[in-house]
Parts: sequence; C-alpha cells; structure tokens
Amino acid sequence: MEKSTIVCRCEEINIDEIEIAIKNGAQEFDDIKRLTRCGMGTCQSKICMNLVRKIISEKLNKPLGEIAPSKMRMPLKVTRLSALTKNIDLCIEEKATLEEGEQTSV
Amino acid sequence: MVKIKTDILIIGSGPAGLNAAYTAASHGANVIIVDEAITIGGQLKQQTQILNNLPGEFNSQRGFSLVDDFYERLKSLPITFLLRHTMIGIYKNNSIGVTNGKETFPITYKKLIIATGAAEEATIFPGWTLPGVMTIGAAQILLNREHVLPGNEAIILGFNEFSLEVGKQLESCGVNIKAIVAKGNYDVELFHEAKNVGIRVVSNATIISATGVNEVEKVVLNIDGIEEEHMVDLVCIGNRLSPILEAFEILSCQLAYQEDLGGLFPKYYNSLETTNTSVYVAGNAAGITNIGGILITGEIAAWNALYSLELLEYSQFKNRSRALWEQLYRIEESQVFKARIAAIKETYKDESLALPPFVELLLEEC
Amino acid sequence: MHINEHPIMNNHFNKDITFTYQGQTFIAREGQTLAAALFANGIKKLGVSRKFHKPRGLFCANGRCTSCFVTVNGLDHVLSCMTLVEEGMVIEANNSDPTVRSGQN
Repeated sequence: MEKSTIVCRCEEINIDEIEIAIKNGAQEFDDIKRLTRCGMGTCQSKICMNLVRKIISEKLNKPLGEIAPSKMRMPLKVTRLSALTKNIDLCIEEKATLEEGEQTSV
Repeated sequence: MVKIKTDILIIGSGPAGLNAAYTAASHGANVIIVDEAITIGGQLKQQTQILNNLPGEFNSQRGFSLVDDFYERLKSLPITFLLRHTMIGIYKNNSIGVTNGKETFPITYKKLIIATGAAEEATIFPGWTLPGVMTIGAAQILLNREHVLPGNEAIILGFNEFSLEVGKQLESCGVNIKAIVAKGNYDVELFHEAKNVGIRVVSNATIISATGVNEVEKVVLNIDGIEEEHMVDLVCIGNRLSPILEAFEILSCQLAYQEDLGGLFPKYYNSLETTNTSVYVAGNAAGITNIGGILITGEIAAWNALYSLELLEYSQFKNRSRALWEQLYRIEESQVFKARIAAIKETYKDESLALPPFVELLLEEC
Repeated sequence: MHINEHPIMNNHFNKDITFTYQGQTFIAREGQTLAAALFANGIKKLGVSRKFHKPRGLFCANGRCTSCFVTVNGLDHVLSCMTLVEEGMVIEANNSDPTVRSGQN
C-alpha cells in the first residue's frame, strides 16, 4: 500500500510516519501517539487504534495480542467545557473530582 | 441537580443492555440505562434481516421488531432510561460521570453492567477518508433507520455474512452493488448465496484507491493482478467487529486478547464480572458473538448482579445460571464459546483462583 | 435521496421539515439525524480535515469517528450522526476550528 495512506483520520498521520516512529523505537500505540500525534484528535484513537496496532504487530513481528492499546483518557467522548463545568461546585463538595483510573494492563 | 443513585446501572441500550435491564428490573432491582443514542435498541434498530438464533423466550423476528418487543416488556418495569446521555468518565468515588451535552453529573450504583457493544474495524486504502466511503454498518443505518439511499453505485470491501446481508438490503432499495471485494479465500456457501441473488463477488482482490474531488467518484480494484476501474458514489467497508473498550479501560478493568472473541476484551469470570469488582460485561463487549449470545450474556450478567445484591435465593440463581450457560453453549458458534471458556479459565489462573467445577465441566463439554 | 417505499419497514416518518445548509434551504423528515437529512439532499461533504483541509463526511454513523461534525445554529462541532434535525435549523459545514470565544457568555 502507498506509504502516504492516512491511518489516523483526525490528525492525518500516514503509514510512513507510523513506520518511522516504529524505526525510532515505538513499540505500542502510545509510543506512536507521543511521537506523531496519531490518535490525539477528536475521536481519541477510536478508529485508528487497531489499525496502528496491526502495523506495529507486522513491523515488529509480534503477536497482535501483545501490542498494548491506547490509554483512554477522560472525557471518553467529545464534551463541551460548559457541560463539564456546570456542576463543578457539587463535584468539589462531594470530593468527587474526575480523576483518571489506574494504568490498564493487558 | 439531583443526586442519582441506583441498584444496577447499565451502559448501553442494545440487546445485551435491554435484556440485562429486563432481567434485573423484573427481579426487584432499580435500574438505570444510559445510552448516547436517541432511542433504545443499539444496532438492532436497523437490522431488517430475520434473526433466527434467538433464545427460546423470543419469537424469531427481524431486529427492529425485537426492539419494539423489548419496549413492550420494559415499559411497566422500574427502569429509568437516560437516552442522549453519554458516559464520559468516572469520579474518584467510582460514580459514573454522565453528560447530556449541557451538564455532567455522577450516577452512583451498586452494580454496573457495561454493554457497550462492538465497533466496526476500519480498512485503510488511499482515499478511505473521502465522503461516500463509510462502514457497511453506517450504510445500513442510512438505509433502514433513516430511510435514505446511501448511494447509487456501490462497492463493498470485505466479504462476510453481514456485508452480503447489507449488500442484499442495499440492492433491494435500488443500489447497484458493482462488486463485493473478497481478499483471499471465501466461504463457498456464502459465495453461492451471493451468486443466487446476482451479486458479483471478486476474490483475491484488493482496493488500490478511491478518488474524487469532494466525495468518492471512482475506485480502482486489483482483482487477481488485473486492475479494474469502477465509477461509484458509495464504498462500504465491511470489516470485522471488535469490542468497545473505553469504559472498561477507564474503570481499570484488565484486558485480555482472544482472536476468536474479536481481539482485545475485558477479562471476566463466569459471573461475567470483570477484574474490577461490581463491574460486569455483557453482549459483544464480552466478545463478538451472535444475537443469541448477546441476549444470553446480558441475562447472565444481570443474574449475577442480582445475586450479589442478595435479591435472589441461591438455588434459584444457581439453576438459572447453569441453564443460561448451557443455552449459551448451544446458541453460540462453538469457536466463540470455546474462546470464551478459555478466556474465563485464564482469568481464574491469572488471579490464582480455583476454577469453579461448573466451568471445568463446560470446558470438558467443548 | 429519501426512500419513499422501503421494501421491509413501514414509513415511520410523518412530517417534512425544512432546514438550511450553507444558506440554502432543504427538506428533511422529522426524526432523521442531521447526517441523514444532509445525505438525502445529496450533501456528503460536511467539512474539511484540520491539517490538510481534505473533505470529510459520515463514516461510522455511531458517534465515534467524529468525521461528520457540522455547526448547528452557531454551535460548532456537533456530531451530525447523533443529532436530530429540527425545523428551521441553520447548519453550516465544519471548515475550521472555532475562534476562541471572548468569555462574555
């Protein structure tokens, strides 16, 4: 396939950029993300995660099951700041501020 | 703002979530279902094919009518539907953060059942980002839920039961399917089925590119080494499904991998409880299966949640659980069931727990 | 194009409504999503990508891929596949990032 083919629709990262990141030592999705912005757009890697994992698996000759998925971060879907801050007082009062979960491992 | 509390919170109102809700609410639990969609039913809403492998208590029927069935079953039960509400995260005290687009609020639960279903995997090729290139599921939504023609001249990428089914549905509404592109070897039976309805399947074929100015206008295929051009206004990507994981990841549920379950999925026990206590998984999120498997896993998760809430007698719970697992064994494709049982065994092993004799029995059976 | 006679399903849309897209008036059916209403009127390109300004439109139809963003009544980045069309809606293409608001609202 042409190396200029887009993999991440949102940030418009192509195969070539991902392969270069792998050559530079990337081994899992989040390495690619940090090096290229792949998966950092509005969909937050929902579409490209498994596409990228497959490329890594093929390039590094590692089973797909061993390639860690992207670390999901809140909010899980596109959310307006106004919707997030509307009840902020109540959330502080309950000491229930949004906080990230522990690292997910495969 | 009201502080919302419930016995059982269900994320997703597809068949698994609805069946879990029905089971839970008809045994005395308070239930809230959260779904970001406008109406209940998940992907059932646009399924016009007849669903055959349904559990005994359901009549064989089309997907969209099964949604109506559920609506009738559920309307008199103590269930709160929060439609157009999206789970976007968790709070420090483990409440689920839900937004309706205007505000965000916590929902506190005793048991959480996540039935977020599956997503269609993409296939990449030059031009796949063009308007007019969409997943086969998206084309089916336009056709059957929205009653909008997704195109006039179409190519379908990927040859499987679902892509052929939607291909037939598209044709019945007047879309010309120029070809279904099969990568390598394909199911002979499926090929004959396509032939019988006059849909061309090209094997050993790939797409080279899709091109167009503002939307897709042309695709070039490579069919067994020979290039073929087609003028099209619709390209459907009919790839496999994989479980939707975001909710599990944010809840720190550990993940596992099984090719036959659709790739990565949350680890679970035979209770369908994940490695995060009180968080259960049901439906395609617990591994890609058929509609029967989706419905039954919804019920299994609900029975286990009910039992741990002490809303069921042990004997009642035990008998029904066993019956459900046996039903699942019969209704699911054997390789999916095997992969599921193997995955459950792994979970027990990883947590250094003894495998319940019942699961061992199931293992032996398959 | 709207399907008038679906081969299997009854017509569950009973009312036509009007909306505008890029200043032009179109007809949709009440109960349709914005993405479907636009598609029915032959509008597939709903905006452009952020970096290379390439055309984007409906892809997953399930609120996941975010390729179908449009601006609705001035509110940018609305998922057209998850939002119902309403009478008199003013829809515009998603052709750029929003300008930073002044903070008065």
